[in-house]
Amino acid sequence: MANQPTNNRLPLEQGLWLITVALAAWMIPGAGHFLIRERKRGIILFAVITTLFVIGLYVGSIGVVDWVGGRIWFYAQVLYSPAVGLIGNITKHGGYPVYGRPADIGQIYTGIAGLLNLLCVLSAVYMAYCGRGEMIGHEEEDDNG
Amino acid sequence: MADCGFILAAFTAPFEIGTTPSSMLWMFPLLAAIALVYKATKMRVLFTKKYLQQSLLLFLSVSGFMVMAIAVLNLLSWLITS
Repeated sequence: MANQPTNNRLPLEQGLWLITVALAAWMIPGAGHFLIRERKRGIILFAVITTLFVIGLYVGSIGVVDWVGGRIWFYAQVLYSPAVGLIGNITKHGGYPVYGRPADIGQIYTGIAGLLNLLCVLSAVYMAYCGRGEMIGHEEEDDNG
Repeated sequence: MADCGFILAAFTAPFEIGTTPSSMLWMFPLLAAIALVYKATKMRVLFTKKYLQQSLLLFLSVSGFMVMAIAVLNLLSWLITS
């Protein structure tokens, strides 16, 4: 019963709404939750995931985003945001080499940030599907002050 | 503007980290981030105190497991090589 959509949207409208939430959540971490009025959750997710990604880039340099030499990692990293593709475009000629432990840590941090954002996308879409923002959004904001 | 350039330049060269046992400490910020995000997506209603408590508990549990795994693997490698 909990998995049934509980809002009154038409199926097409509901589908477009879920796609909008998913795209927003992918483009800016936490934006999906923000759209469904889970603002506190959205801010926390944005702050934590962005901090993790930025630390990864700082430790390993932008060279860790490498869709030529580290394609599997790139697939995880690009889940953070489509903007990661722009970084990949800058580094594709191999102008920012990085080796050893900084490369490991940078790739792990940025890759995990991307995978955590995938979790957030799924969470935001699920909450939107259940009509979460419409059901208890205001109530929750009131509870949280 | 110059400050902005310095900040951007910091992202073009890797940070110095040696391949030493202490470099394993870099796993803790990662575990903290995973615990915070997991609990933020999992909890039905986010009450600040409860959220922080549950995140801390998860962080300590996963950290404890990782430390135990490291100790067991070290012990095994010591037993095999000695």
